[in-house]
Amino acid sequence: MQKNVYVWEFPIRLTHWLNVLSIVMLSVTGIYIGAPFIHALYTTQYIMGTVRFLHFAFAYLFIVSLAFRIYWMFKGNRFSVWSAYNPLAKGKVKLAAEHCKFYMCIANKPPKDWLGHTASASLAYIGLLVLFLFMIASGSALYYNAQPNLAVFLMGGWLGKVFSISTLRLWHHLVMWFILTFVIVHVYLGWLLDRFEKNGIMSSIFSGYKVGE
Amino acid sequence: MKDESIYAALSHRGVSRRDFMKFCATITATLSLPSAFTPKIAEALEKKKKPYVVWLHFQDCTGDTEAILRASNPSVAELLLDIISLEYHETIMAPSGKLAEKSRHDVITSQKGNYIAIVEGSIPTKDDGIYCVVGGRTALSIAKEVCSNALVNFTVGSCAAWGGLGSANPNPTGAVGLQDVVSGAKIVNFPGCPMNPVNLVAAIVHFLTFGSLPALDSRNRPLFAYGKRIHDNCERRAHFDAGQFVRQWGDEGHRKGWCLYEMGCKGPEAFLNCPTVKFNDKTSWPVQAGHGCVACAADHNWDKVYPFYGRLQKVPGFGIETTADKVGLGLAAAAAAGVAGHAVASSLKKDKDCSSKEESNK
Amino acid sequence: MARIVVDPITRIEGHLRIEAQVENGRITDAWAAGTMFRGIEIILKDRDPRDAWIFTQRICGVCTTTHALASVRAVENALNITIPSNANIIRNIIACSQLIQDHIVHFYHLHALDWVDVVSALKADPAKTSALAQSLSDWPLSSTSYFKGVQNKVKTLVESGQLGIFANGYWGHSAYKLPAEANLMAVAHYLEALDLQREFIRIHALLGSKNPHLQTYLVGGVSIPVDPNSQNALNADSIAFMLSLSKKAQDFVSKVYIPDLLAVASFYKDWAAYGGGSGNFISVGEFPSDGTLKNMWMPAGIIFNKDLSKVHPVDQSKITEYVTHSWYEYSGGDAKGKHPFEGETNHKYSGPKPPYDYLDTSKKYSWIKAPRYDDKPMEVGPLARVLVAYASGQKQFKDTVDAVLKKLGVGPEALFSTLGRTAARGIETLVLTEMLPQWIGELAANMKKGDYTIHSGDKWEPSTWPKEAKGWGFHEASRGFLGHWVNIKDKKTANYQCVVPTTWNASPRDAKGKRGPYEEALVGTPIADPNKPVEILRTIHSFDPCIACAVH
Ligand code: HEM
Ligand code: HEM
Ligand code: NFV
Ligand code: SF4
Ligand code: SF4
Ligand code: F3S
Ligand SMILES: [Mg+2]
Repeated sequence: MQKNVYVWEFPIRLTHWLNVLSIVMLSVTGIYIGAPFIHALYTTQYIMGTVRFLHFAFAYLFIVSLAFRIYWMFKGNRFSVWSAYNPLAKGKVKLAAEHCKFYMCIANKPPKDWLGHTASASLAYIGLLVLFLFMIASGSALYYNAQPNLAVFLMGGWLGKVFSISTLRLWHHLVMWFILTFVIVHVYLGWLLDRFEKNGIMSSIFSGYKVGE
Repeated sequence: MKDESIYAALSHRGVSRRDFMKFCATITATLSLPSAFTPKIAEALEKKKKPYVVWLHFQDCTGDTEAILRASNPSVAELLLDIISLEYHETIMAPSGKLAEKSRHDVITSQKGNYIAIVEGSIPTKDDGIYCVVGGRTALSIAKEVCSNALVNFTVGSCAAWGGLGSANPNPTGAVGLQDVVSGAKIVNFPGCPMNPVNLVAAIVHFLTFGSLPALDSRNRPLFAYGKRIHDNCERRAHFDAGQFVRQWGDEGHRKGWCLYEMGCKGPEAFLNCPTVKFNDKTSWPVQAGHGCVACAADHNWDKVYPFYGRLQKVPGFGIETTADKVGLGLAAAAAAGVAGHAVASSLKKDKDCSSKEESNK
Repeated sequence: MARIVVDPITRIEGHLRIEAQVENGRITDAWAAGTMFRGIEIILKDRDPRDAWIFTQRICGVCTTTHALASVRAVENALNITIPSNANIIRNIIACSQLIQDHIVHFYHLHALDWVDVVSALKADPAKTSALAQSLSDWPLSSTSYFKGVQNKVKTLVESGQLGIFANGYWGHSAYKLPAEANLMAVAHYLEALDLQREFIRIHALLGSKNPHLQTYLVGGVSIPVDPNSQNALNADSIAFMLSLSKKAQDFVSKVYIPDLLAVASFYKDWAAYGGGSGNFISVGEFPSDGTLKNMWMPAGIIFNKDLSKVHPVDQSKITEYVTHSWYEYSGGDAKGKHPFEGETNHKYSGPKPPYDYLDTSKKYSWIKAPRYDDKPMEVGPLARVLVAYASGQKQFKDTVDAVLKKLGVGPEALFSTLGRTAARGIETLVLTEMLPQWIGELAANMKKGDYTIHSGDKWEPSTWPKEAKGWGFHEASRGFLGHWVNIKDKKTANYQCVVPTTWNASPRDAKGKRGPYEEALVGTPIADPNKPVEILRTIHSFDPCIACAVH
């Protein structure tokens, strides 16, 4: 008997959308910092200055929001606790197999939804978390190069003592594209699952509810 | 022997009191000390006798020596004849061969632990150091002998500080900086290619005045010279913040002195006081002459602060022309294409076979 | 028969060692060895050819800019880029002021002490010195009190016991011939020249940000903007500034350097008989009138065995480098020379283990390769340039050379000597100080015309380059003919070879055992006191050695 299950608590939905916002802003401003495509007409303008300010502002928003999400890994419900990201958790592997069957039209019924993350989703999100942490660390290193302070040093400023700033700049830039690539696939899968499994997964990140037993 | 004070020597050469104080003021400024220190420096120079200096050349290009020859306030003549007693310097000393080596030997024995050693050029360590031999002896053995008995060692230029040009990939001779071959000795590094003579002179005078070295950073560079980022003191910074960038050599922005960021300027990664002290009597410095900084004082800038004419390093494993953005965009585009392809395929699928089943599990 | 060793040779750039065979007071055979190697040709491999000049410039800080210029010319030649007029003029101004500054420093600070006895200056009578100075030129710094001041300076230095760089000089050596007054005058000018060179070279800082190691070259032009309407580019002030500095140099050279040179020479005429060298001379010409590098103000040409009646054309394909007596290995054996396009730099030391007393000169004994033109050792440098210009009848040079020879009362054959080499450098400096204002004027003229172009950018992007390209860049540097050869493959430097002035002059023997110019020039030189071999220094210094350049 299908009923609506409260999967994504408010903090999850909030941090999710804050991340989305900051990543979009960080990417746009970051791309400008990397290759200033707009030129000022007057020296009194402050385009690069503003763009860098925004980059740093959203960087902090991003850090805070991610920090809160991590905190919620210990506070949250069974869908959002850290263990929900263990791809090998019992059942997940079997479920993955069933999903394959369904999408290869071998099985005619989608598996009973797990509601939480599938094995592949868990993996993807762990990988993403790593990329996030790298962006924060490498960004902090670039920031520390200009404005050294202890907090930034701890968040990754120290990386500048291990790798050259040029190298960190390159990877800070490259990993942005890795993240944007994730987003494309991520959004599509959301739409796909929602369409075929009718589990309300897409609306869940807005409403919090998924359809299941 | 009779040693006379530095000021006495200067006045003997008809250097006026006024010029002398002017010189002291310059030094105070370079050291970024409050001007109240000027009299203290003057006083010290009036008392101190000339320190003995041994200048060693190893794997160098003599560019740092030439830099010192361009010193002003004090001029090189004043420096060489009045402020220091340069006992050994292969480029300008009178004697050659055995007698030259005698000059070196005399100071390091008679002034053991009491002379200043200045090192120019890297030291080859591969194959027992046979890539730099002077008077039949390797640079390695000379450096150990001279520098471990010095009161203090100053390395001039990036080669002596970290290996510099000679140590650029693939470092054919195993070239390293002084601090990698003499342990325990007191070393102050003046990287740069060449180092700025203003900074070396200022440090020497600081040493004579206060009997101590200026504050150093974690890599033994004087903070007064290496503590600030070029990008933060650059006269073109306003154009950077505004968003006014040179895009082509000789374009309008270039002629108007806009920011060289897009042309590959490494000022945002370089730490040195070039914009404030400049070179050759404050005539100019790289950015002022329209060329980006190449971070010539940075450790292994030849390989790490690269490319000189681009903003970002090349992506490892890709050709010289593929930029980070090409790679990244390609990746994202591929994903998008894959997604689109899959979407089409699966929607076809829906309308066919799987559809009936879907009805059944309503 | 005795073997004497002079190592380090001082008052030069770099690490040079001379071993000589002396028999009853004369050198019968000699060997020159460069003892420091960095491997810059190896370091350049696989990098962006547009960066090469930033690396190669660091081959030498004494002749800074020369390797930068040769490098951009080589890459431009490979990609056939023609640089705009302003870039060509600015490069000419930089090269010209480099030669002037380098030559002044060489004469006073590297070479003078071979002829001038500093300590004897103490015995001079300042009044007589003043009279002597005023008889030579109307240079203002010539009063009795001025020379008295200088003499006091020397006195305090000697009395202080801290002689610094003058300690252990060969003072009182029988080979010093100048009267005390001339010595005192020379010491005064030694100090003046220290200030002059510093002041004059600010031209480089203006055009190239700093000296040494200017940061203003670009493949395709220069990076110093030209715009009379901007404070951030070369403008009217810059022109005025350069002209004033060039005037200073011109005064100093015509009123101090040349008179000093003639005065010293007149006391050392016997040195027109020593230090002849190989007798073959090559110059590739310098100061192109435009970016095509077709016509050069200083002519290119070759003179074989001292025959001034014929000037032969230069053909770069006839250049090869031997490593038969150098610490390298060639694929295909060390008996044959290689043209720089096929050049290799495989270092392989095979000399004695340091510390050592003597090198085994019968085998490999130097880090310097042995360049040959048509299998002949060649001398390069001011003497080569002056001879080629003289023999090809270049007016400014012909007149100046004849005037100097007349003053000394000797014929052109006197030029093939230690003294001739030193004189030629002075002659060249004089002529160049007359040319400098002209090039500065050309730049001003372009500004007037509204031509502000400094770079030809169409080949800047590597995407516009062919898959493979080869080229060479030549430059007449202070010490002579400098050549860079570059092979570019897939936008990267595949091979880079430098054949440098001092590589030619200080070269060791080749496969046939032919001596290099230094070695040849030393043969026959008298040696009064093997422990104070000032005579060796005179001949070697007359070439103005640079070993960092020679080996690289
Ligand atoms: C910068 C862009 C985005 C990032 C980095 C991102 C990241 C994430 C992460 C980490 C999760 C797992 C939830 C958690 O455990 O915290 C998630 C879930 C989700 N996101 Fe996003 N997201 C992005 C954009 C979007 C967009 C634009 C949509 C839809 C319009 C979306 C729809 C969803 C949905 C439906 C889920 C729930 C999936 C499930 O239940 O497994 N996301 N997202
Ligand atoms: C997903 C997150 C982020 C993205 C996509 C992003 C993107 C970028 C990009 C593309 C650049 C330009 C790199 C270049 O070409 O030079 C950049 C620069 C920079 N980013 Fe980020 N960034 C992110 C997060 C952060 C964070 C968390 C910080 C700070 C803690 C940070 C600090 C910086 C700094 C300091 C620079 C250099 C600015 C300058 O040199 O003027 N970024 N970022
Ligand atoms: N030989 C040489 Fe250089 C010069 N002039 C090179 O091109 O000195 Ni260092
Ligand atoms: S640091 Fe630069 S200037 Fe100094 S020796 Fe090395 S290459 Fe020459
Ligand atoms: S020119 Fe270079 S140092 Fe100056 S502001 Fe621009 S990037 Fe920074
Ligand atoms: S190249 Fe070097 S000289 Fe200063 S401006 Fe950059 S650090
Ligand atoms: Mg070579």
